[in-house]
Amino acid sequence: MTLDIEFSVKNLDFFYNGDNHALKDVTLPIHRNQVTALIGPSGCGKTTLLRCFNRMHDLYPRHRYEGEIIFEDRNILADDVDLIKLRSRIGMVFQKPTPFPMSIAENIAYGLRLKGVRNKSELTGRIEQALKNAALWEEVRDKMNANAYDLSGGQQQRLVIARALAVEPEVLLFDEPTSALDPISTAKIEELVVTLKKHITIIIVTHNMQQAARVSDMTGFMYLGELIEFGSTEKIFTAPEKKQTDDYITGRFG
Amino acid sequence: MDIEQKRKIESIVALVFSTLAAFAGLFWLVFILGDVIVHGIGALKLSLFFNDPVPAGMAGGGLRHAMVGQLMTTFFATLIGVPVGVLGGTFLAEYARRTKYARVISVLADIIVSVPSIVIGTFIYAIMVRPLGHFSGWAGSVALSLIMIPVVLRTTEDMLSMVPWTLREAAFALGAPYYKVIIQVVYRGAATGILTGILLSIARVAGETAPLMFTSFNNNFFSWDMSRPMASLTVTIFQYAMGPYDDWHQQAWAASFVITVFILILTLLGRFVLKWRFKQ
Repeated sequence: MTLDIEFSVKNLDFFYNGDNHALKDVTLPIHRNQVTALIGPSGCGKTTLLRCFNRMHDLYPRHRYEGEIIFEDRNILADDVDLIKLRSRIGMVFQKPTPFPMSIAENIAYGLRLKGVRNKSELTGRIEQALKNAALWEEVRDKMNANAYDLSGGQQQRLVIARALAVEPEVLLFDEPTSALDPISTAKIEELVVTLKKHITIIIVTHNMQQAARVSDMTGFMYLGELIEFGSTEKIFTAPEKKQTDDYITGRFG
Repeated sequence: MDIEQKRKIESIVALVFSTLAAFAGLFWLVFILGDVIVHGIGALKLSLFFNDPVPAGMAGGGLRHAMVGQLMTTFFATLIGVPVGVLGGTFLAEYARRTKYARVISVLADIIVSVPSIVIGTFIYAIMVRPLGHFSGWAGSVALSLIMIPVVLRTTEDMLSMVPWTLREAAFALGAPYYKVIIQVVYRGAATGILTGILLSIARVAGETAPLMFTSFNNNFFSWDMSRPMASLTVTIFQYAMGPYDDWHQQAWAASFVITVFILILTLLGRFVLKWRFKQ
């Protein structure tokens, strides 16, 4: 089976504050409709890499990209890329749940309105669909106007996923989405990630190696800003080629 | 005497002095408020709200002109001060965040907050009243708005800075432009705090006298015309309390009571909004 390439990261270097070299010559493919996990010890650059895909670094001054991330034949790191359009196609879910200070329904309507959906019945329909896709509908259908902060942490995280899904992105970036959640909520999110890959491409950063093994198809191991090894999850976890990878997944360091 | 006994005595001395200091402060506060309430309620008549002044020395008349003038001056001051303050605070907390400009402006705003209000009054006198040739309600509103702006600006800046950055990132990640992130997400998160700041800043200017004496001055007749001199409760209190007539003194008490209650309500409302927010 040959897989379509969604992103092609080529010789990517990234600098914080002008000279803090956080990513070093990273090259890897991201396959369409697959889950790619990025693992590695704290500070290895996995989150930094993830935040390159939707240009989140651009919110902060004195950052610098070198190299390319090719998405639909274009380098999305180029200066003339429309970030608003890019981010509406590449969604992101953060470590801590980030519901907006408004009702459950409004949280999801927010993204839809950004996309220009104004029609009331269309909004209602798409809100319901998004909540169903995020496996949250049954729990919130009777309290759509309740404050989103009244939900539990796990429900908030699924609400945020629903909000990201509502705008129909092609890619979803997950930045340690379950590190603040209990095991049951974590299991629900993991199940969701596996379901979602039918329609979208997923990149997930995780500290939890079991999680990477459970949900991902491809895994990249990073260390000190470099991509040490990249390959199918099965291979990385059973027969890694590099000693550093082996040491990390067997728990000898990190 | 061992060291434990010594510490106990020190503790008692500190307790006695701090309690005395608290009571000394509280005593005058209760005295002033009590005096205003006792005299004010005694002098308060419904007719004061519906009548304008009668010629000096005659009994009767009311404060309608001053109440309406006060409300109008404060209302237009709010109309000028709140948008400028909120937008300025937004600039500092969002667009100019962590820049040198923002820090300098913040410090300057803090300095202006502590400038005596009479200085603001004379400033507006020099740049507005003198060139136009006469006192006016507008000048009064501008003077009060100048007092409001730094207060609202700093509150807005602080409240916006308290909204976590992850919330903004989440909105950006959905493809929102910055202005929509601010208006639809950040303002919502900071709304009650900003509202409290606005209410407290209105309460702050509603009690001002000195800046009005140089700007809106006073008017013994009822007037809607903001381009003419405008009466206010505070300046009327000053004029009546200094005047020779007993009836004026009574009305000054009543006016003091009305304005105190007005400010008290605004302050309580501000506190209530803040409490309601943290309960959420």
